[in-house]
Amino acid sequence: MGLKAYLNDIVEAVVTTAKGMRITARYGVDPKEEVTLQYPEERWEIPKDYRGFLHNDIKTCTACNMCVKTCPVDCISLESVRGADKKMVLCSYDINIGRCMYCGLCVEVCPVNSLKHTSGYEMASADRGEMILHFIAEDAAEIKARVARQVAEAAAKAAEAAKAAEASKAAEVPKPADLSADLSSVAAKAAKEEAAKAGGDDPKAAKAEAPKAAPEKKE
Amino acid sequence: MEALALSLVNAVPPLAGVPLWTVTLLLMVVVAAVILVFALTFEGVGSLVLRKVAGDIQARIGPNRVGPNGILQFVADGVKLVLKEDIIPANADRLLFKLAPYFVFVGSFAAFVVVPFGVGLIAADLNIGIYYVMAVTSLVVVGILLAGWSSNNKWALLGGMRAASQIVSYEIPVGMALIPAVLIAGSLSLQDIVRSQGGLLGIFGWNVFHNPFTFFSFFLYFTAAQAETNQTPFDLPEAESELVSGYNVEYSGIRFGLFFLAEFGDMFIVAALATACFLGGWNVPFFHAATLPWIWGNLLSLGVFLAKAFAMVLVMMWVRWTLPRLRVDQLMRMAWKFLVPLTFVNLLGVSLWLLVFRGKGIPGMIASLFG
Repeated sequence: MGLKAYLNDIVEAVVTTAKGMRITARYGVDPKEEVTLQYPEERWEIPKDYRGFLHNDIKTCTACNMCVKTCPVDCISLESVRGADKKMVLCSYDINIGRCMYCGLCVEVCPVNSLKHTSGYEMASADRGEMILHFIAEDAAEIKARVARQVAEAAAKAAEAAKAAEASKAAEVPKPADLSADLSSVAAKAAKEEAAKAGGDDPKAAKAEAPKAAPEKKE
Repeated sequence: MEALALSLVNAVPPLAGVPLWTVTLLLMVVVAAVILVFALTFEGVGSLVLRKVAGDIQARIGPNRVGPNGILQFVADGVKLVLKEDIIPANADRLLFKLAPYFVFVGSFAAFVVVPFGVGLIAADLNIGIYYVMAVTSLVVVGILLAGWSSNNKWALLGGMRAASQIVSYEIPVGMALIPAVLIAGSLSLQDIVRSQGGLLGIFGWNVFHNPFTFFSFFLYFTAAQAETNQTPFDLPEAESELVSGYNVEYSGIRFGLFFLAEFGDMFIVAALATACFLGGWNVPFFHAATLPWIWGNLLSLGVFLAKAFAMVLVMMWVRWTLPRLRVDQLMRMAWKFLVPLTFVNLLGVSLWLLVFRGKGIPGMIASLFG
Protein backbone atom coordinates (compact mmCIF):
# COMPACT_ATOMS: atom_id res chain seq x y z
CA MET A 1 0.00 0.00 0.00
CA GLY A 2 1.55 3.21 -1.18
CA LEU A 3 1.38 6.46 0.70
CA LYS A 4 -1.15 7.82 -1.74
CA ALA A 5 -3.53 4.91 -1.20
CA TYR A 6 -3.00 5.24 2.54
CA LEU A 7 -3.94 8.90 2.56
CA ASN A 8 -6.83 8.20 0.20
CA ASP A 9 -8.14 5.65 2.69
CA ILE A 10 -8.07 8.23 5.46
CA VAL A 11 -9.81 10.86 3.37
CA GLU A 12 -12.43 8.37 2.24
CA ALA A 13 -13.09 7.27 5.81
CA VAL A 14 -13.60 10.85 6.95
CA VAL A 15 -15.74 11.82 3.98
CA THR A 16 -18.02 8.79 4.10
CA THR A 17 -18.44 9.10 7.86
CA ALA A 18 -19.38 12.74 7.48
CA LYS A 19 -21.82 11.86 4.74
CA GLY A 20 -23.48 9.21 6.84
CA MET A 21 -23.67 11.46 9.85
CA ARG A 22 -25.29 14.17 7.79
CA ILE A 23 -28.01 11.77 6.73
CA THR A 24 -28.68 10.51 10.24
CA ALA A 25 -28.66 14.06 11.56
CA ARG A 26 -31.34 15.00 9.07
CA TYR A 27 -33.49 12.10 10.21
CA GLY A 28 -32.73 12.85 13.85
CA VAL A 29 -33.73 16.48 13.62
CA ASP A 30 -36.79 16.16 11.42
CA PRO A 31 -39.64 14.80 13.54
CA LYS A 32 -41.89 14.34 10.52
CA GLU A 33 -39.88 11.42 9.28
CA GLU A 34 -41.29 9.11 11.91
CA VAL A 35 -42.93 6.08 10.37
CA THR A 36 -43.99 4.35 13.58
CA LEU A 37 -47.64 3.50 13.89
CA GLN A 38 -48.72 3.26 17.52
CA TYR A 39 -50.46 -0.02 16.85
CA PRO A 40 -53.33 -0.52 19.23
CA GLU A 41 -54.33 3.12 18.86
CA GLU A 42 -53.47 3.58 15.20
CA ARG A 43 -53.75 1.05 12.41
CA TRP A 44 -52.93 0.73 8.78
CA GLU A 45 -55.84 1.22 6.46
CA ILE A 46 -56.83 -2.24 5.27
CA PRO A 47 -56.48 -2.62 1.47
CA LYS A 48 -59.59 -3.40 -0.53
CA ASP A 49 -58.82 -7.03 -1.35
CA TYR A 50 -57.16 -7.80 1.96
CA ARG A 51 -57.31 -11.49 2.82
CA GLY A 52 -58.06 -11.55 6.52
CA PHE A 53 -59.94 -14.10 8.56
CA LEU A 54 -62.52 -16.15 6.69
CA HIS A 55 -66.19 -15.69 7.33
CA ASN A 56 -68.94 -17.94 6.10
CA ASP A 57 -72.44 -16.63 5.83
CA ILE A 58 -74.20 -19.84 6.79
CA LYS A 59 -77.57 -18.58 5.60
CA THR A 60 -76.44 -18.62 1.98
CA CYS A 61 -74.05 -21.53 2.26
CA THR A 62 -75.29 -24.54 0.33
CA ALA A 63 -72.92 -27.02 1.96
CA CYS A 64 -71.55 -27.87 -1.45
CA ASN A 65 -68.22 -28.98 0.05
CA MET A 66 -66.18 -27.13 -2.60
CA CYS A 67 -64.22 -25.12 -0.05
CA VAL A 68 -63.35 -28.25 1.90
CA LYS A 69 -62.12 -29.98 -1.21
CA THR A 70 -60.06 -27.06 -2.48
CA CYS A 71 -58.38 -26.12 0.80
CA PRO A 72 -54.68 -27.05 0.45
CA VAL A 73 -54.13 -27.24 4.19
CA ASP A 74 -57.43 -28.87 5.14
CA CYS A 75 -58.41 -26.21 7.59
CA ILE A 76 -62.12 -26.21 6.74
CA SER A 77 -64.35 -28.99 7.98
CA LEU A 78 -68.02 -29.26 7.26
CA GLU A 79 -70.84 -31.64 8.15
CA SER A 80 -74.21 -31.66 6.48
CA VAL A 81 -77.31 -33.76 6.10
CA ARG A 82 -80.02 -33.70 3.52
CA GLY A 83 -83.01 -31.91 4.93
CA ALA A 84 -86.72 -32.48 4.46
CA ASP A 85 -86.90 -30.10 1.49
CA LYS A 86 -84.17 -32.01 -0.37
CA LYS A 87 -81.60 -29.21 0.26
CA MET A 88 -78.43 -29.88 2.26
CA VAL A 89 -78.53 -28.65 5.83
CA LEU A 90 -75.29 -27.57 7.51
CA CYS A 91 -74.68 -29.27 10.82
CA SER A 92 -71.30 -27.75 11.50
CA TYR A 93 -68.92 -25.45 9.66
CA ASP A 94 -65.51 -25.00 11.30
CA ILE A 95 -62.40 -23.18 10.06
CA ASN A 96 -59.15 -23.76 11.86
CA ILE A 97 -57.86 -20.23 11.43
CA GLY A 98 -54.59 -21.17 13.06
CA ARG A 99 -53.90 -23.48 10.19
CA CYS A 100 -55.32 -21.33 7.40
CA MET A 101 -52.72 -19.84 5.09
CA TYR A 102 -55.01 -17.21 3.60
CA CYS A 103 -54.53 -18.39 0.03
CA GLY A 104 -58.10 -17.46 -0.86
CA LEU A 105 -58.81 -20.56 -2.95
CA CYS A 106 -61.92 -21.41 -0.93
CA VAL A 107 -63.32 -17.94 -1.49
CA GLU A 108 -62.70 -18.13 -5.21
CA VAL A 109 -64.34 -21.49 -5.51
CA CYS A 110 -67.44 -20.71 -3.46
CA PRO A 111 -70.38 -20.82 -5.93
CA VAL A 112 -72.77 -18.70 -3.87
CA ASN A 113 -70.16 -16.26 -2.47
CA SER A 114 -71.07 -17.07 1.06
CA LEU A 115 -67.44 -17.63 2.11
CA LYS A 116 -65.49 -14.39 2.23
CA HIS A 117 -62.31 -12.87 3.60
CA THR A 118 -62.94 -10.25 6.23
CA SER A 119 -60.48 -7.53 7.19
CA GLY A 120 -59.87 -9.10 10.58
CA TYR A 121 -56.32 -10.05 11.48
CA GLU A 122 -56.13 -9.81 15.25
CA MET A 123 -56.40 -12.98 17.25
CA ALA A 124 -54.43 -14.44 20.06
CA SER A 125 -55.12 -17.38 22.27
CA ALA A 126 -53.30 -19.51 24.76
CA ASP A 127 -54.87 -22.65 23.39
CA ARG A 128 -54.80 -23.84 19.80
CA GLY A 129 -58.37 -25.08 20.12
CA GLU A 130 -59.52 -21.49 20.44
CA MET A 131 -58.21 -20.82 16.97
CA ILE A 132 -61.02 -22.88 15.43
CA LEU A 133 -63.84 -20.67 14.28
CA HIS A 134 -67.28 -22.26 14.68
CA PHE A 135 -69.85 -20.73 12.39
CA ILE A 136 -72.76 -22.75 13.70
CA ALA A 137 -73.39 -22.30 17.35
CA GLU A 138 -75.84 -25.19 17.68
CA ASP A 139 -74.53 -28.65 18.36
CA ALA A 140 -74.15 -30.76 15.22
CA ALA A 141 -75.83 -33.80 16.79
CA GLU A 142 -78.88 -31.72 17.71
CA ILE A 143 -79.24 -30.41 14.20
CA LYS A 144 -78.92 -33.92 12.84
CA ALA A 145 -81.56 -35.20 15.21
CA ARG A 146 -83.91 -32.36 14.34
CA VAL A 147 -83.47 -32.84 10.62
CA ALA A 148 -83.97 -36.57 11.02
CA ARG A 149 -87.20 -35.88 12.89
CA GLN A 150 -88.43 -33.58 10.14
CA VAL A 151 -87.51 -36.13 7.55
CA ALA A 152 -89.26 -38.86 9.43
CA GLU A 153 -92.37 -36.72 9.76
CA ALA A 154 -92.34 -36.02 6.07
CA ALA A 155 -91.86 -39.68 5.31
CA ALA A 156 -94.72 -40.60 7.60
CA LYS A 157 -96.93 -38.06 5.86
CA ALA A 158 -95.95 -39.55 2.55
CA ALA A 159 -96.69 -43.02 3.75
CA GLU A 160 -100.10 -41.88 4.97
CA ALA A 161 -100.80 -40.30 1.65
CA ALA A 162 -99.74 -43.47 -0.06
CA LYS A 163 -101.99 -45.54 2.16
CA ALA A 164 -104.89 -43.22 1.47
CA ALA A 165 -104.24 -43.52 -2.21
CA GLU A 166 -104.19 -47.27 -1.96
CA ALA A 167 -107.43 -47.27 -0.09
CA SER A 168 -109.15 -45.05 -2.62
CA LYS A 169 -107.71 -47.23 -5.37
CA ALA A 170 -109.08 -50.33 -3.74
CA ALA A 171 -112.51 -48.74 -3.55
CA GLU A 172 -112.63 -47.57 -7.09
CA VAL A 173 -110.77 -50.50 -8.55
CA PRO A 174 -109.63 -48.98 -11.79
CA LYS A 175 -107.74 -51.65 -13.66
CA PRO A 176 -104.95 -49.66 -15.36
CA ALA A 177 -103.81 -47.87 -12.15
CA ASP A 178 -102.84 -51.09 -10.44
CA LEU A 179 -99.23 -51.06 -11.42
CA SER A 180 -98.51 -47.49 -10.43
CA ALA A 181 -100.08 -47.94 -7.02
CA ASP A 182 -97.87 -50.88 -6.37
CA LEU A 183 -94.84 -48.81 -7.25
CA SER A 184 -95.77 -45.93 -4.99
CA SER A 185 -96.25 -48.16 -1.98
CA VAL A 186 -92.81 -49.64 -2.53
CA ALA A 187 -91.23 -46.19 -2.67
CA ALA A 188 -92.92 -45.07 0.54
CA LYS A 189 -91.79 -48.16 2.36
CA ALA A 190 -88.19 -47.61 1.26
CA ALA A 191 -88.29 -44.02 2.46
CA LYS A 192 -89.60 -45.01 5.84
CA GLU A 193 -86.92 -47.60 6.30
CA GLU A 194 -84.20 -45.17 5.44
CA ALA A 195 -85.44 -42.48 7.81
CA ALA A 196 -85.61 -44.93 10.66
CA LYS A 197 -82.12 -46.19 9.91
CA ALA A 198 -79.91 -43.13 10.39
CA GLY A 199 -81.85 -40.00 10.92
CA GLY A 200 -81.81 -39.76 7.21
CA ASP A 201 -78.91 -39.60 4.87
CA ASP A 202 -81.36 -39.10 2.12
CA PRO A 203 -84.62 -38.16 3.76
CA LYS A 204 -85.62 -35.37 1.49
CA ALA A 205 -85.54 -37.55 -1.55
CA ALA A 206 -87.80 -40.06 0.08
CA LYS A 207 -90.19 -37.44 1.20
CA ALA A 208 -90.28 -35.76 -2.15
CA GLU A 209 -90.81 -39.01 -3.99
CA ALA A 210 -93.64 -40.17 -1.87
CA PRO A 211 -96.01 -37.19 -2.33
CA LYS A 212 -95.37 -37.29 -6.03
CA ALA A 213 -96.27 -40.91 -6.18
CA ALA A 214 -99.52 -40.32 -4.37
CA PRO A 215 -101.11 -37.85 -6.80
CA GLU A 216 -100.06 -40.11 -9.61
CA LYS A 217 -102.08 -42.91 -8.12
CA LYS A 218 -105.11 -40.74 -7.63
CA GLU A 219 -105.52 -40.16 -11.29
CA MET B 1 -9.95 16.69 50.98
CA GLU B 2 -8.15 17.24 54.26
CA ALA B 3 -8.10 20.99 53.65
CA LEU B 4 -11.82 20.91 53.09
CA ALA B 5 -12.23 18.95 56.32
CA LEU B 6 -10.13 21.56 58.17
CA SER B 7 -12.20 24.43 56.89
CA LEU B 8 -15.34 22.53 57.81
CA VAL B 9 -14.07 22.02 61.34
CA ASN B 10 -13.21 25.71 61.55
CA ALA B 11 -16.63 26.70 60.28
CA VAL B 12 -18.56 24.39 62.60
CA PRO B 13 -17.11 24.65 66.13
CA PRO B 14 -18.89 21.58 67.60
CA LEU B 15 -16.84 19.40 65.21
CA ALA B 16 -13.59 20.45 66.90
CA GLY B 17 -13.82 17.54 69.33
CA VAL B 18 -13.98 14.96 66.53
CA PRO B 19 -10.65 13.64 65.21
CA LEU B 20 -9.77 15.23 61.87
CA TRP B 21 -9.44 11.90 60.07
CA THR B 22 -13.05 11.02 60.95
CA VAL B 23 -14.31 14.24 59.43
CA THR B 24 -12.14 13.66 56.36
CA LEU B 25 -13.41 10.12 56.00
CA LEU B 26 -17.02 11.24 56.34
CA LEU B 27 -16.47 13.94 53.74
CA MET B 28 -14.96 11.38 51.40
CA VAL B 29 -17.98 9.12 51.80
CA VAL B 30 -20.32 12.02 51.16
CA VAL B 31 -18.42 13.08 48.04
CA ALA B 32 -18.32 9.51 46.79
CA ALA B 33 -22.06 9.21 47.37
CA VAL B 34 -22.72 12.43 45.49
CA ILE B 35 -20.63 11.29 42.54
CA LEU B 36 -22.23 7.86 42.61
CA VAL B 37 -25.68 9.42 42.55
CA PHE B 38 -24.63 11.63 39.66
CA ALA B 39 -23.13 8.69 37.79
CA LEU B 40 -26.17 6.49 38.31
CA THR B 41 -28.55 9.26 37.29
CA PHE B 42 -26.50 9.97 34.21
CA GLU B 43 -26.40 6.31 33.33
CA GLY B 44 -30.16 5.95 33.78
CA VAL B 45 -31.11 9.06 31.87
CA GLY B 46 -28.38 8.32 29.34
CA SER B 47 -29.97 5.00 28.48
CA LEU B 48 -33.28 6.71 27.88
CA VAL B 49 -31.70 9.45 25.77
CA LEU B 50 -29.76 6.84 23.83
CA ARG B 51 -32.95 5.06 22.91
CA LYS B 52 -34.73 8.29 22.09
CA VAL B 53 -31.88 9.40 19.85
CA ALA B 54 -31.85 5.99 18.21
CA GLY B 55 -35.58 6.35 17.61
CA ASP B 56 -35.22 9.79 16.09
CA ILE B 57 -32.36 8.79 13.83
CA GLN B 58 -34.08 5.62 12.67
CA ALA B 59 -37.36 7.48 12.01
CA ARG B 60 -39.06 5.79 14.93
CA ILE B 61 -40.46 7.20 18.16
CA GLY B 62 -38.55 5.31 20.82
CA PRO B 63 -39.84 4.47 24.29
CA ASN B 64 -43.01 6.45 24.99
CA ARG B 65 -45.17 4.33 27.26
CA VAL B 66 -43.77 4.70 30.77
CA GLY B 67 -44.60 8.12 32.11
CA PRO B 68 -45.25 11.18 29.97
CA ASN B 69 -43.47 10.70 26.66
CA GLY B 70 -41.57 7.74 28.10
CA ILE B 71 -39.45 9.77 30.54
CA LEU B 72 -39.74 7.17 33.27
CA GLN B 73 -38.59 4.32 31.05
CA PHE B 74 -35.19 4.20 32.74
CA VAL B 75 -36.84 3.79 36.15
CA ALA B 76 -38.82 0.85 34.82
CA ASP B 77 -35.67 -0.64 33.31
CA GLY B 78 -33.78 -0.20 36.55
CA VAL B 79 -36.51 -1.78 38.64
CA LYS B 80 -36.71 -4.65 36.18
CA LEU B 81 -32.97 -5.24 36.30
CA VAL B 82 -32.90 -5.22 40.08
CA LEU B 83 -35.86 -7.55 40.42
CA LYS B 84 -34.72 -10.12 37.87
CA GLU B 85 -33.26 -13.40 38.98
CA ASP B 86 -29.50 -13.44 39.25
CA ILE B 87 -28.56 -16.54 37.29
CA ILE B 88 -25.14 -18.15 37.44
CA PRO B 89 -24.56 -20.80 34.78
CA ALA B 90 -24.01 -24.32 36.09
CA ASN B 91 -20.46 -24.71 34.82
CA ALA B 92 -19.35 -21.14 35.33
CA ASP B 93 -16.36 -20.22 37.40
CA ARG B 94 -18.51 -18.88 40.20
CA LEU B 95 -15.98 -16.65 41.95
CA LEU B 96 -14.73 -14.95 38.80
CA PHE B 97 -18.24 -14.77 37.41
CA LYS B 98 -19.39 -12.84 40.47
CA LEU B 99 -16.28 -10.68 40.53
CA ALA B 100 -16.26 -9.56 36.89
CA PRO B 101 -19.08 -6.98 36.97
CA TYR B 102 -17.48 -5.22 39.93
CA PHE B 103 -14.20 -4.86 38.07
CA VAL B 104 -15.99 -3.35 35.12
CA PHE B 105 -18.12 -1.02 37.21
CA VAL B 106 -15.30 0.06 39.51
CA GLY B 107 -13.06 0.66 36.50
CA SER B 108 -15.53 3.05 34.98
CA PHE B 109 -16.71 4.65 38.23
CA ALA B 110 -13.25 5.28 39.68
CA ALA B 111 -12.47 7.51 36.72
CA PHE B 112 -15.15 9.93 37.94
CA VAL B 113 -12.81 10.86 40.78
CA VAL B 114 -10.66 13.14 38.65
CA VAL B 115 -13.34 14.58 36.39
CA PRO B 116 -13.12 18.38 36.78
CA PHE B 117 -16.78 19.30 37.13
CA GLY B 118 -16.16 22.93 38.02
CA VAL B 119 -13.77 25.52 39.37
CA GLY B 120 -13.52 23.74 42.68
CA LEU B 121 -15.69 20.73 41.96
CA ILE B 122 -13.38 17.78 41.68
CA ALA B 123 -13.29 14.82 44.01
CA ALA B 124 -9.52 14.62 43.96
CA ASP B 125 -7.30 16.88 41.88
CA LEU B 126 -4.60 14.28 41.38
CA ASN B 127 -1.40 15.61 39.85
CA ILE B 128 -1.39 12.52 37.62
CA GLY B 129 -5.04 12.95 36.58
CA ILE B 130 -4.93 11.77 32.97
CA TYR B 131 -2.52 8.99 33.78
CA TYR B 132 -4.86 7.86 36.56
CA VAL B 133 -7.84 7.77 34.20
CA MET B 134 -5.93 5.71 31.67
CA ALA B 135 -4.75 3.33 34.34
CA VAL B 136 -7.98 2.86 36.19
CA THR B 137 -10.14 2.39 33.11
CA SER B 138 -7.87 -0.52 32.20
CA LEU B 139 -9.62 -2.42 34.97
CA VAL B 140 -12.54 -2.64 32.57
CA VAL B 141 -10.53 -4.94 30.30
CA VAL B 142 -9.80 -7.24 33.20
CA GLY B 143 -13.46 -7.34 34.14
CA ILE B 144 -14.61 -8.01 30.59
CA LEU B 145 -12.02 -10.72 30.09
CA LEU B 146 -13.02 -12.32 33.40
CA ALA B 147 -16.68 -12.16 32.44
CA GLY B 148 -15.99 -13.76 29.08
CA TRP B 149 -13.83 -16.50 30.56
CA SER B 150 -15.88 -17.37 33.62
CA SER B 151 -19.20 -17.62 31.79
CA ASN B 152 -18.08 -20.87 30.15
CA ASN B 153 -19.80 -19.83 26.97
CA LYS B 154 -18.11 -19.60 23.61
CA TRP B 155 -19.78 -16.34 22.65
CA ALA B 156 -18.89 -14.77 25.94
CA LEU B 157 -15.32 -15.94 25.57
CA LEU B 158 -15.07 -14.61 22.03
CA GLY B 159 -16.46 -11.30 23.21
CA GLY B 160 -14.02 -11.16 26.09
CA MET B 161 -11.04 -11.92 23.85
CA ARG B 162 -12.13 -9.34 21.34
CA ALA B 163 -12.59 -6.77 24.09
CA ALA B 164 -9.15 -7.44 25.46
CA SER B 165 -7.39 -7.10 22.12
CA GLN B 166 -9.46 -4.07 21.19
CA ILE B 167 -9.08 -2.12 24.40
CA VAL B 168 -5.39 -2.84 24.71
CA SER B 169 -4.84 -1.75 21.10
CA TYR B 170 -6.84 1.43 21.36
CA GLU B 171 -5.39 2.52 24.65
CA ILE B 172 -2.25 3.58 22.80
CA PRO B 173 -3.89 6.07 20.41
CA VAL B 174 -6.10 7.34 23.25
CA GLY B 175 -3.11 8.09 25.41
CA MET B 176 -1.10 9.52 22.54
CA ALA B 177 -3.96 11.75 21.46
CA LEU B 178 -4.35 13.15 24.98
CA ILE B 179 -0.68 14.00 25.40
CA PRO B 180 -0.85 17.24 23.32
CA ALA B 181 -3.18 18.68 25.97
CA VAL B 182 -0.71 17.62 28.64
CA LEU B 183 2.15 19.22 26.70
CA ILE B 184 0.33 22.52 26.35
CA ALA B 185 -0.68 22.68 29.99
CA GLY B 186 2.60 21.28 31.24
CA SER B 187 0.72 19.18 33.76
CA LEU B 188 -1.08 15.86 34.01
CA SER B 189 -3.64 17.28 36.39
CA LEU B 190 -7.00 17.75 34.69
CA GLN B 191 -7.65 20.98 36.60
CA ASP B 192 -4.38 22.45 35.33
CA ILE B 193 -5.23 21.37 31.80
CA VAL B 194 -8.62 23.05 32.01
CA ARG B 195 -7.14 26.22 33.50
CA SER B 196 -4.59 26.40 30.68
CA GLN B 197 -7.46 26.79 28.22
CA GLY B 198 -9.05 29.76 29.99
CA GLY B 199 -8.26 33.38 29.44
CA LEU B 200 -9.71 36.10 27.31
CA LEU B 201 -9.62 34.22 24.03
CA GLY B 202 -12.99 32.62 24.62
CA ILE B 203 -13.56 29.43 22.72
CA PHE B 204 -10.34 30.08 20.78
CA GLY B 205 -8.44 29.45 23.96
CA TRP B 206 -9.54 25.81 23.75
CA ASN B 207 -6.95 23.24 22.91
CA VAL B 208 -8.82 22.16 19.77
CA PHE B 209 -8.05 25.50 18.19
CA HIS B 210 -4.56 25.78 19.61
CA ASN B 211 -2.90 24.56 16.43
CA PRO B 212 -3.73 22.24 13.53
CA PHE B 213 -2.21 19.25 15.25
CA THR B 214 -4.35 19.55 18.37
CA PHE B 215 -7.37 19.94 16.11
CA PHE B 216 -6.67 16.55 14.56
CA SER B 217 -5.71 15.21 17.94
CA PHE B 218 -9.22 15.87 19.20
CA PHE B 219 -10.80 13.80 16.45
CA LEU B 220 -8.22 11.05 16.82
CA TYR B 221 -8.89 10.94 20.54
CA PHE B 222 -12.62 10.85 20.01
CA THR B 223 -12.39 8.00 17.50
CA ALA B 224 -10.00 5.94 19.58
CA ALA B 225 -11.94 6.55 22.78
CA GLN B 226 -15.12 5.46 21.07
CA ALA B 227 -13.35 2.20 20.34
CA GLU B 228 -11.90 1.90 23.81
CA THR B 229 -15.34 2.11 25.38
CA ASN B 230 -16.84 -0.41 22.94
CA GLN B 231 -19.18 2.10 21.38
CA THR B 232 -21.04 0.98 18.33
CA PRO B 233 -18.85 1.29 15.30
CA PHE B 234 -16.39 -0.68 17.41
CA ASP B 235 -18.74 -2.74 19.56
CA LEU B 236 -17.25 -6.06 18.53
CA PRO B 237 -17.10 -7.40 22.09
CA GLU B 238 -20.87 -7.10 22.31
CA ALA B 239 -21.88 -7.50 18.69
CA GLU B 240 -25.50 -8.47 19.29
CA SER B 241 -25.91 -9.84 15.80
CA GLU B 242 -23.01 -12.25 15.91
CA LEU B 243 -22.08 -12.89 19.55
CA VAL B 244 -25.62 -12.51 20.91
CA SER B 245 -24.39 -10.04 23.49
CA GLY B 246 -20.72 -10.88 23.81
CA TYR B 247 -19.06 -11.05 27.17
CA ASN B 248 -22.25 -10.41 29.12
CA VAL B 249 -24.53 -13.05 27.54
CA GLU B 250 -24.74 -15.13 30.67
CA TYR B 251 -25.34 -12.24 33.03
CA SER B 252 -28.76 -11.27 34.28
CA GLY B 253 -30.33 -9.10 36.90
CA ILE B 254 -28.21 -6.70 38.86
CA ARG B 255 -24.92 -8.07 37.54
CA PHE B 256 -25.95 -7.30 34.01
CA GLY B 257 -27.07 -3.94 35.32
CA LEU B 258 -23.54 -3.22 36.48
CA PHE B 259 -22.15 -3.90 33.01
CA PHE B 260 -24.82 -1.70 31.57
CA LEU B 261 -24.08 1.15 33.97
CA ALA B 262 -20.36 0.84 33.33
CA GLU B 263 -20.96 1.22 29.61
CA PHE B 264 -22.70 4.54 30.11
CA GLY B 265 -20.19 5.58 32.75
CA ASP B 266 -17.43 5.03 30.21
CA MET B 267 -19.34 7.11 27.73
CA PHE B 268 -19.45 10.00 30.16
CA ILE B 269 -15.77 9.62 31.04
CA VAL B 270 -14.82 9.83 27.38
CA ALA B 271 -17.00 12.88 26.87
CA ALA B 272 -15.67 14.49 30.04
CA LEU B 273 -12.05 13.91 29.06
CA ALA B 274 -12.65 15.27 25.58
CA THR B 275 -14.29 18.32 27.15
CA ALA B 276 -11.55 18.84 29.73
CA CYS B 277 -8.61 18.26 27.42
CA PHE B 278 -9.79 19.85 24.20
CA LEU B 279 -13.00 21.83 24.65
CA GLY B 280 -12.02 24.11 27.47
CA GLY B 281 -13.51 22.11 30.34
CA TRP B 282 -15.55 24.27 32.70
CA ASN B 283 -14.19 27.53 31.30
CA VAL B 284 -16.99 29.95 30.53
CA PRO B 285 -16.09 31.88 27.36
CA PHE B 286 -14.93 35.46 27.97
CA PHE B 287 -15.54 35.14 31.67
CA HIS B 288 -13.61 34.15 34.74
CA ALA B 289 -15.78 31.77 36.68
CA ALA B 290 -13.15 31.64 39.40
CA THR B 291 -13.66 35.31 40.22
CA LEU B 292 -17.31 34.84 41.13
CA PRO B 293 -18.41 33.92 44.65
CA TRP B 294 -17.62 30.26 45.36
CA ILE B 295 -21.15 28.94 44.94
CA TRP B 296 -22.08 30.82 41.76
CA GLY B 297 -18.73 30.28 40.14
CA ASN B 298 -18.97 26.58 40.74
CA LEU B 299 -22.57 26.32 39.60
CA LEU B 300 -21.85 28.25 36.43
CA SER B 301 -18.76 26.25 35.59
CA LEU B 302 -20.54 23.01 36.45
CA GLY B 303 -23.33 23.94 34.07
CA VAL B 304 -20.90 24.80 31.29
CA PHE B 305 -18.93 21.62 31.81
CA LEU B 306 -22.00 19.39 31.84
CA ALA B 307 -23.43 21.11 28.77
CA LYS B 308 -20.22 20.44 26.84
CA ALA B 309 -19.90 16.88 28.12
CA PHE B 310 -23.52 16.03 27.35
CA ALA B 311 -23.16 17.50 23.90
CA MET B 312 -20.20 15.18 23.37
CA VAL B 313 -22.27 12.26 24.65
CA LEU B 314 -24.95 13.14 22.12
CA VAL B 315 -22.35 13.17 19.36
CA MET B 316 -21.20 9.75 20.50
CA MET B 317 -24.76 8.48 20.27
CA TRP B 318 -25.11 10.07 16.88
CA VAL B 319 -22.00 8.25 15.65
CA ARG B 320 -23.25 5.11 17.30
CA TRP B 321 -26.48 5.06 15.32
CA THR B 322 -24.82 6.03 12.06
CA LEU B 323 -21.89 3.74 11.44
CA PRO B 324 -22.01 -0.02 10.92
CA ARG B 325 -19.80 -2.32 12.94
CA LEU B 326 -16.26 -3.01 11.76
CA ARG B 327 -14.82 -6.44 11.19
CA VAL B 328 -12.14 -7.63 13.62
CA ASP B 329 -9.35 -7.30 11.08
CA GLN B 330 -10.59 -3.86 10.04
CA LEU B 331 -10.63 -2.83 13.67
CA MET B 332 -7.05 -3.90 14.24
CA ARG B 333 -5.96 -2.38 10.94
CA MET B 334 -7.54 0.90 11.91
CA ALA B 335 -5.80 0.90 15.30
CA TRP B 336 -2.31 -0.13 14.27
CA LYS B 337 -2.04 1.17 10.73
CA PHE B 338 -3.96 4.39 11.03
CA LEU B 339 -4.64 5.67 14.52
CA VAL B 340 -1.32 4.79 16.14
CA PRO B 341 0.90 6.29 13.40
CA LEU B 342 -1.33 9.33 13.06
CA THR B 343 -1.34 10.05 16.77
CA PHE B 344 2.44 9.73 16.84
CA VAL B 345 2.77 12.15 13.93
CA ASN B 346 0.40 14.48 15.74
CA LEU B 347 2.34 14.26 18.96
CA LEU B 348 5.54 15.06 17.08
CA GLY B 349 3.81 17.96 15.36
CA VAL B 350 2.49 19.43 18.61
CA SER B 351 5.88 19.07 20.28
CA LEU B 352 7.61 20.82 17.38
CA TRP B 353 4.99 23.55 17.35
CA LEU B 354 5.40 24.21 21.04
CA LEU B 355 9.16 24.23 20.62
CA VAL B 356 9.17 26.57 17.62
CA PHE B 357 6.45 28.99 18.72
CA ARG B 358 7.29 28.85 22.42
CA GLY B 359 4.00 27.36 23.47
CA LYS B 360 1.79 29.85 21.67
CA GLY B 361 -1.21 28.72 19.68
CA ILE B 362 -2.54 30.26 16.47
CA PRO B 363 -5.31 32.24 18.19
CA GLY B 364 -2.80 33.49 20.75
CA MET B 365 -0.47 34.70 18.02
CA ILE B 366 -3.30 36.44 16.17
CA ALA B 367 -4.38 38.08 19.42
CA SER B 368 -0.84 39.28 20.15
CA LEU B 369 -0.74 40.85 16.65
CA PHE B 370 -3.48 43.19 17.77
CA GLY B 371 -1.84 43.79 21.11
